[in-house]
Amino acid sequence: MNPTTYGWLVLGFPLAGTLVVALGWRVLPGRLPGWIASGAIGLSFLAALGMLFELIDRPEDSRALVGTAFNYLDTGGMEADLSILVDPLSVFMCLVVSGVSFLIHLYSISYMTSDRGFARFFAYLNFFVFSMLLLVLAANFVLLIVGWAFVGAASYLLISFWYRRATATAAGIKAFVINVIGDVGLVIGAFLLFDATGALDYVSVFERAGEVFGSNDPQLVAACLMILVGAFAKSAQLPLHTWLPDAMEGPTPVSALIHAATMVTAGVYLIARCHPLFELAPAAADVGAIIGTATLLFAATVAMAATDLKRVIAYSTMSQIGYMVLGVSVAAYGAGLFHLMTHAFFKALLFMGAGSVIGAMSGVQSLDRMGGFRKAMPFTFVTFTVGALALAGFPLFSGFFSKDEILAYTLNRGGGYAVLGLVGYVAALITAFYAGRMVFRVFFGPAVVEARELEQGTLHHGEHANPATGEAEDTDVGFPGPEHHIAEREWPMKAAMAPLAVLAVVAGVLGIPGVTDTFEHFLEPTFEESRFATTAPGDGEEWLGLAAGGVFALVGLGAAYYYLLRNPELRLATRKRFARLHTFFVNKWYFDEIFDAGIVRPLRRSGQFGRTVVESTFVQGVIVGGTVGLVRAGTSFARSIQTGELRAYAALLLLGMSGLVLYFLIVAT
Amino acid sequence: MPFTIHLSLVIFLPLAAALIAAFLPARIGRWVVVAASFGVLGYAIAMLVDFDPNVRDGPLRFVTDENWISELGIRYQLGVDGLNLFLIALTALLWAPATLWSAVRMDERRKLFMFHMALGETAVLGAFCAQDLALFVVFFDLMLVPFYFLIGGWGTGDRVRATTRFVIYTLVGSLLMLAGAVALGVIAADGGELSFSFAVLEQRVVGEGTQKWIFLLFALAFLVKAPLFPFHGWVVDTYRSTPTPVLVVLSAVLSKVGVYGFLRIVLPILPDASEYFQELMLVLAVFSILYGSVLAFSQEEARLVVAYSSIAQLGFIVLGIFSLDDKGAQGALMQMVNHGLVVAPLFFIIAVLSARAGSAVSLERMGGMALRAPVLAAFFLVITLATLAMPGSPNFVGEILILFGTFEDNLVYGLVASTGVVLAAVYMIRVFQRAMHNRLVPGDEPVDLGGLELMAIVPVTLVVVALGVYPQLMLDRTEETVATKVEPAGTLAAERLHPEISVIR
Amino acid sequence: MNTSWFVVLSAFIFCIGAAGVLTRRSPLVILLCLELMLNAGNLALIAFSRMLGNQDGQVFALIVMVVAACEVVIGLGIIVAMYRRRLPIDVDAMSELRG
Repeated sequence: MNPTTYGWLVLGFPLAGTLVVALGWRVLPGRLPGWIASGAIGLSFLAALGMLFELIDRPEDSRALVGTAFNYLDTGGMEADLSILVDPLSVFMCLVVSGVSFLIHLYSISYMTSDRGFARFFAYLNFFVFSMLLLVLAANFVLLIVGWAFVGAASYLLISFWYRRATATAAGIKAFVINVIGDVGLVIGAFLLFDATGALDYVSVFERAGEVFGSNDPQLVAACLMILVGAFAKSAQLPLHTWLPDAMEGPTPVSALIHAATMVTAGVYLIARCHPLFELAPAAADVGAIIGTATLLFAATVAMAATDLKRVIAYSTMSQIGYMVLGVSVAAYGAGLFHLMTHAFFKALLFMGAGSVIGAMSGVQSLDRMGGFRKAMPFTFVTFTVGALALAGFPLFSGFFSKDEILAYTLNRGGGYAVLGLVGYVAALITAFYAGRMVFRVFFGPAVVEARELEQGTLHHGEHANPATGEAEDTDVGFPGPEHHIAEREWPMKAAMAPLAVLAVVAGVLGIPGVTDTFEHFLEPTFEESRFATTAPGDGEEWLGLAAGGVFALVGLGAAYYYLLRNPELRLATRKRFARLHTFFVNKWYFDEIFDAGIVRPLRRSGQFGRTVVESTFVQGVIVGGTVGLVRAGTSFARSIQTGELRAYAALLLLGMSGLVLYFLIVAT
Repeated sequence: MPFTIHLSLVIFLPLAAALIAAFLPARIGRWVVVAASFGVLGYAIAMLVDFDPNVRDGPLRFVTDENWISELGIRYQLGVDGLNLFLIALTALLWAPATLWSAVRMDERRKLFMFHMALGETAVLGAFCAQDLALFVVFFDLMLVPFYFLIGGWGTGDRVRATTRFVIYTLVGSLLMLAGAVALGVIAADGGELSFSFAVLEQRVVGEGTQKWIFLLFALAFLVKAPLFPFHGWVVDTYRSTPTPVLVVLSAVLSKVGVYGFLRIVLPILPDASEYFQELMLVLAVFSILYGSVLAFSQEEARLVVAYSSIAQLGFIVLGIFSLDDKGAQGALMQMVNHGLVVAPLFFIIAVLSARAGSAVSLERMGGMALRAPVLAAFFLVITLATLAMPGSPNFVGEILILFGTFEDNLVYGLVASTGVVLAAVYMIRVFQRAMHNRLVPGDEPVDLGGLELMAIVPVTLVVVALGVYPQLMLDRTEETVATKVEPAGTLAAERLHPEISVIR
Repeated sequence: MNTSWFVVLSAFIFCIGAAGVLTRRSPLVILLCLELMLNAGNLALIAFSRMLGNQDGQVFALIVMVVAACEVVIGLGIIVAMYRRRLPIDVDAMSELRG
C-alpha cells in the first residue's frame, strides 16, 4: 500500500474514535469509551508502523510523498489542499505521538475510572491526538495552522477538564490565548512566505525559497521570526511560557501526553520542518538558539526551587524543550529530534509516576509533604527513578545519548555557540540536581503518614482539595473522582509505564555515535540538503561531549544526594544565604507579574475607559445625541404648526385658499 | 432544473403568506408564514444547487428585467450572481428558524409580529436581489419599517428610546444615500438616457470630484448600517432591547446589506473615489476592530459582548473590502456569510442561557451550566470557536483571506488588525467560560436544550462545520464575480503603489 | 337678471359662514355655518348654470347637497359621541391631536 494511504489511516482512526466516543457517550457502558479510544490510537500506531515500513522499502531519494484529499482553499493565487506529506520526519513524529499516546490512554483508563467525565475525557484525548497527527502530517502551512489551532483547542478543553475549578478554567484560558498569539504569528509568517514564493505548500515554498531569498533577506528573517513566535507559544519557550506550569491543573495523563511528549514538541517539529528557511536566515536561527538556551537555564533554576511535584516536572519539560529548540536551531536536527523521542519516553514516565505518587497522597502535590515511599511503592519507585536518571543524563541511559549529543554539536559550531553550549552544560548540572532532588524527596527519607499506611496495605483517603488554593473540590459531581489510583494496584497503569521505562533505558541504542547511527540515518533524506551537514562533529568529539555531560550528571546527582540525604542542615543554610535568589526562583523570575502589569491590566483599563468615557460621553452623547438632536430641532418648526386646534386649522385653510385665489386673479389680469 | 426560479416569487413569498395569514386565525396563520419562510429556504437551496460556476451565459442568473418607471430610467431588475447568491441563502437560512422561534415563543400580538418579520424578509431579499440602484434604495429603506415596529412594539427595557435612535440614525444615512443615488444616476447620464441599472452605471464614467462626495454619502449610510466606529451609537440600546428572533436577523443579515452595498455599488461604480478614500476606510476598519474587541471583553452582558464583537467583525469585513484586493474582498464576502452563520446560534444560545439563569442577562449571574446541559455546552463551544475564527472554521478561511489581501499592500494595517484576532479569542472564550464553567450559581436549574432550541441552533451549526471542512464550496462560486467588482478600484490602487509595474489581472 | 347680484349674494353668505366657523366655539354652530358656506357655493353654481344655459351647475349643486348631508351625519355623530362621554362641547378643548 501507498504510504500516504497509511497516512490517511493514521489520521482517520483517532478521528473515528473521537466521533464514536463523543456521540455515544451516553450509551457506552463503564470503561468501554476508554478501551475504544485506546484501540483507535493503537490502530493509528499500527498504521504509522505500516507507513514506516513502506517508506523504508523505497529508495532513499524518493521518500517524500504527498497525498491529497481535496481542494480546501483555492482563490486569488492562494492554493492549499487537504494534503499530507509523508517523509521520514513526519513518520517519526507520527510514531512517537501515536505510540506514547497509546500508552497514556491505557494509563488513563485506570487513572480516570471514577471520574464522571470519563467518556468526555477520552473524546477530548482522541481529538487531541488527531489534531497533533494532523499537525505533523500537514503538507502546507494552512493545514498546519488548522492542526496547530485544533491542538490548542484540545489543550484548552483538557486543561480546564475539571471545569468546576476556578484555577483550572483560568489556566485553560491562559493557555488558549497564548496559543492564539502563536497562531497569529504563524499566519503572518505564512503570508510573508506566500508573498515571496507564491505558494503555501512545503514542497514549493522550500524549493523556491532558495531562489527567491538571499541569505538573511529581511522578509525571510521576519517570516522565520513569526514562525518562531508560533513555535515558542506552543513549546512554552520564553517569553510565551507562562501557560505551561499553570497547565498542570489538568489531570496527570493530560500533563503526560500534552505537556511532555506531544504538544510542546510541535514547535521543535516546526523548526525542523522549516529548516531550509532557517538555514537561509541564520539570524532567525540564532534567535531560536538563544531563546532555547535562555529557557533551558531559566526553567532549570525554577525547577530547582519549586515545591509542587508536577510543576517541577513541568519546568523540567520547558528546560528540555529548550535543549531541543537549541538543537534544531544549530542544525543538529538528528540530535534535537532524538532528544524529542527520548524525552517523550522519560517525561511521560515521570508524569505517570508522579500521578501514582499523587494518588497515594490522595491529591496532595507538594514535595514538602512527601517522603519515604520507597518501600510502599516499589514499582513506581523503580520506574520513576529510571525516568529521573534518563532526565539527568546518567551515562548509558537514553537521555545521556540525546541531550549531550545536542551539546556536543553546539560546542562544535564554535564561536558564540560555544557559550550557549557551556550554558547548556551548566543547566545539565542543575537538571541532574533537581532530578535527584525529586527522587530523594519523594522516595527517600523518613516515611510520611501516607507511605506508612500504604506499607500496611491501606491506601490513604483524603478529601480532594485544589492543590493551589486548598479549596475543597466539588467531587459531588464526580470529578475529580473520589477514588485514588496508584500504579501498584492497577495493571493498565503498569502496562503503560513498564514499556516506557524500558525505552527510557535502552532507546539510546538508536543513536550511539559511531556505532549505531540508525536514527540519524533514517532522518537523512529529510535533512540531506542541509548546509550544515558538514559541520557535524566527528565521533570522537561526540563522545567527548557525551562524557562531559555524563560527568556533570553524576556531579549533579551526587550533589543532590549530599544536600538532601547526607547533610540536610547544609541545605537549609544554603537557602538562607541565598534567600533572595531562592525567592526569585520560587516566583518564576516574576514573569507572570510582569505580564499582568504590562499587558493584562492596561487592556482591562482601556476597556473600562472605552466603556465609560468613549461610549457614553462621546459616542452616545455627541454623535447619536447630536444627530437625534439635530433632527428634532429641524422638525420642531413643523411640529409647532400642529396645535390640535380646529379653528387654527380652519383659519390656515381659508387664508391659504384666499391667497391662492388672489394670486390667480392677479396673474389673470 | 425542471422549473425556472422567478426571483420575484422568492422575494414576495413571505409577504404574500403574511397577508394571507392576516385573514386566518392566529393559530393557523403563523404556520402559513413559517411554511413560507421554509419555502424561501427551499428556493435558496435550489438556487445554490443550480448555480454552476463554470457555466457562463452572462454575469447574472435568474434574471428578471421589467420596465418600471421608464421616465426616470428605473427598471425592475433582479438577478443573482456570485456576490449575492450566498447572502440570499444566508437570509433564507436564518429567517426560517427566526420565524419558527417567533411562531412558537412570541405570544403577544403574534400575527402582527409575524407579518413584520415576513415583511422584513421580503425587503432584505429584495435589497440583495436588486440590480437597479433605485430599486435597491427602495428595498433598503423598506427594511427599516418592520424593524421599527418590531423593536418598538415588542422590545424590552427602554425600547422606545432604542427604536427612536435606531430609526433616526439609519434614516439620516438612508436619506443621504438617496441623495447620492439620485445624483449618481443623473450625473452619470450626462445628458443622455437616464438609467439606474447597475450594469449600465458600471459602464458609465463619472468625474473624480463627483465620485468623491457621492462616495461619502453612500459610505455614511452603509457605515451606519454595518455599524462601524464611530457610527455605532445605536447598537447598544438596540441590542439590549430587541426580542431574540428580531435580534438574530438584525445582527446576522441586516448588517450585511450595508457592506454588500460597498461591494455591489461603491467599488465598481466609484472606483476613483474608492481608491482615494482607501486609507480612511482602512483606518476606520482597523479602529473598529480594536475598539469593538477591547469593549467586548469589558462587558458584563452577554448580548453586548456579541454586539461589540459584531462591530469588530464588520471592521474586518470592511478591511477586506477596502484592501482592494481579490483575496481580501472574497474573504470579506465569505465573512459576511460566516458572521451571520455564527451570530444567529449565538443569540439563540444567549436567549437559552438567560432563560435558564432566571432571566439574568449579566455574565456574573451565570455559571457552571455545562454540567446539566452538555449538549448546549457542546454547541456553544463549537459556535464560540467558530466566532473567534479558530482555524478549521470557515471564519478562519475568511479571515486569512482578508489578512492576506490586506498584507499585500497595507502590511501595517493588517498587522494591527491581527491583534484583533487575539482579542477575539479572549472575549469569546471568556463568555463561554463564564456561562458554562466554574461553579453553578445558586438558584439556577439549567435544563438541556429543548426541541425548538435544537431546531434553531443545530442546522446552522452543521452548516458552519460543513463550510469549515469544505470552504471551497463558497469560494468557487464567488471568485469571479468578486474579482470583476474589485477590479476597477484595485487596478487604480495597484497603479498608485507600483507605478512602474503594469498590473495584469 | 344680472348674474353678478347672485354671485355677490353668494360671496356674502360665504363670508358670513366662514366668519362663523372661525369664531364660534360650539361644534353645532360650526356645522351650521359650514352649511351656510356650502349653500353659498350652491347658489353660485346655480347662478352660473342659468347664465351659461346648461344644467352642469345644477347637477353639481345636487352632488354638493349629498356631500353636505353625509358630512352633517358624521359631524352630528361626533357631537353626540362627545356628549355621551361627557366631554365639553367646545372645539378649543378638543386638541389632543397636537404634534
